[in-house]
Amino acid sequence: MIHDYLILSVILFCLGILGVITRRNVFTVFMSIELMLNAANLAFIVFSRVHESMDGHVLAMMVMAVAAAEAALALAVVILLHKHKGKLDTNVFSLLKG
Amino acid sequence: MHDFLSLLPLIIITAGAVLLMLLSTFEKTNVETASYISMGFYGVAFFVQLVIGCGPEVTIFDQTFNGMLVANNFSMAAGLVILGCGFFTSVSGHSYFKVNQFCTLEFYSIMMFASCGMILLTLAHELISAFIAIEIMSLAIYILVGYDRQNVKASEAILKYLMLGAFAGAFFTMGTALIFGAAGSTKFMAIAAALNMTGEISPLLLGGSFFILVALLFKVAAFPFHAWVIDVYDGAAAPVTGFMATALKTAAFALFANFLAMNNVMHSGWVTFLFYLAILTMFGGNLVAIGQDNIKRMLAASGIVHSGYLLIALVALNAEQFSGSVIAYYLAAYAVGTLGIFAALSYLSGEGERRADFADFKGLAKVHPYSAAAITVFLLSMAGIPPTAGFMGKFYIITSAFNEGQVTLAVLGVVSSILSMWYYLRLIINMYFHEATDTFEIQGTPLATAGTFALVFCVFAIALYPVVI
Repeated sequence: MIHDYLILSVILFCLGILGVITRRNVFTVFMSIELMLNAANLAFIVFSRVHESMDGHVLAMMVMAVAAAEAALALAVVILLHKHKGKLDTNVFSLLKG
Repeated sequence: MHDFLSLLPLIIITAGAVLLMLLSTFEKTNVETASYISMGFYGVAFFVQLVIGCGPEVTIFDQTFNGMLVANNFSMAAGLVILGCGFFTSVSGHSYFKVNQFCTLEFYSIMMFASCGMILLTLAHELISAFIAIEIMSLAIYILVGYDRQNVKASEAILKYLMLGAFAGAFFTMGTALIFGAAGSTKFMAIAAALNMTGEISPLLLGGSFFILVALLFKVAAFPFHAWVIDVYDGAAAPVTGFMATALKTAAFALFANFLAMNNVMHSGWVTFLFYLAILTMFGGNLVAIGQDNIKRMLAASGIVHSGYLLIALVALNAEQFSGSVIAYYLAAYAVGTLGIFAALSYLSGEGERRADFADFKGLAKVHPYSAAAITVFLLSMAGIPPTAGFMGKFYIITSAFNEGQVTLAVLGVVSSILSMWYYLRLIINMYFHEATDTFEIQGTPLATAGTFALVFCVFAIALYPVVI
């Protein structure tokens, strides 16, 4: 039972990585990153259950708080980019080429 | 009492950040006052940190913080570097924002919040507090990078940085979760105890620490994760780039060293991995730097090379008696050189940073001999020429690698340092052996100029410090 949740967490994490790598829309990329963070949260809860302590729950709360702050900034950046180009496709932004 | 004193610099900086945030609502205060206030807070915090000095290793408020924050000589030295970087960034910002007017009061406030995260990061001996400190630092730095909202280049830089930074942050949390699963705690002490019990890294811990190393390698711009750094440094304003290149790297390397040094098992498990990464980072960075025509991009690429040298120091660190003195010294030496160049760029590059390429600085020595001499000192320090701080830093790193039996790394470090002369000398040649085509009028206030010469003094002071002591 515990293992199933852990596997689910890993699948979510991999889906998140896949989303970041393949998607071109800024919104989808940020959503994928949120998915990765929530996969980590699920893993925290699962391990908390394994160790029979509440530590993992607290850590998951902390991560959620930070994720919310990051999302706020990400949305501000999305608006900024939309003002500049009117599009949210990452391919449009190619002034800097490294 | 010592617990409270160890936290005092952090408290001062946070108080300064909050104060500036509140002051920004008043119309009377202007940007210049804000930069003086932030200089004042950085200066006070620097001296407090210096006066408290070092002492035995203290676990700050063991009962309240549950052993999450530890202050020692290494964290103090890293804190000093960070506060010094903040001070000189405010100094060069004062001149820079006189010419490039997109600054508001919040700029300095956000910069101080970033420093608060960085100092917390040097103290953190627990993974979740480290994660929160990283995010405090990064979120503030993202905003600083994209501060000029009219500038498309800066907006693009913030997009790239935020996307990749958040990606790395997700890796860090997943790594923390896996380590929590394996060791039952996220405190370095408890993880080290769990490692000692088994004597080897279990698969779960191996996966977890790999994820954390990936995130940290991203933050310090080591080899496979270095591509972002050039674009982001190019897009950000000169003082911000200087701040990112020095203070952020110091904080990230402090956590990196603390994490690896927690236990011999952990360190020896990753030595081979870091060995190859150090080599690839040094030579990859050199290859990128040689091809650059823009000074900021060249400095970004040379920052990658310097991360490579610091990775050598991480490979050679001794987890049993970890002092971090080599790493802290190199970080200080690198910080003064880089900050100095960015302070000089702040007052020389002109409105909208129109002087950005090597060719734009042709004949600078004919017009401003002292500024050109200062830049030359910084470049020679970064290249590692004897009487400068950079030489002593490299000397210590190479010696520590020899002492730990990493002869290959030591030799490759010297080779890479010789290669790096190519692009440092190129700028010096451009400044000295060409006729001036530009007038190089210095705009803004003389503060950045003063800061540049103070940093020249620091380059030699830091170089002489180990000789005198």
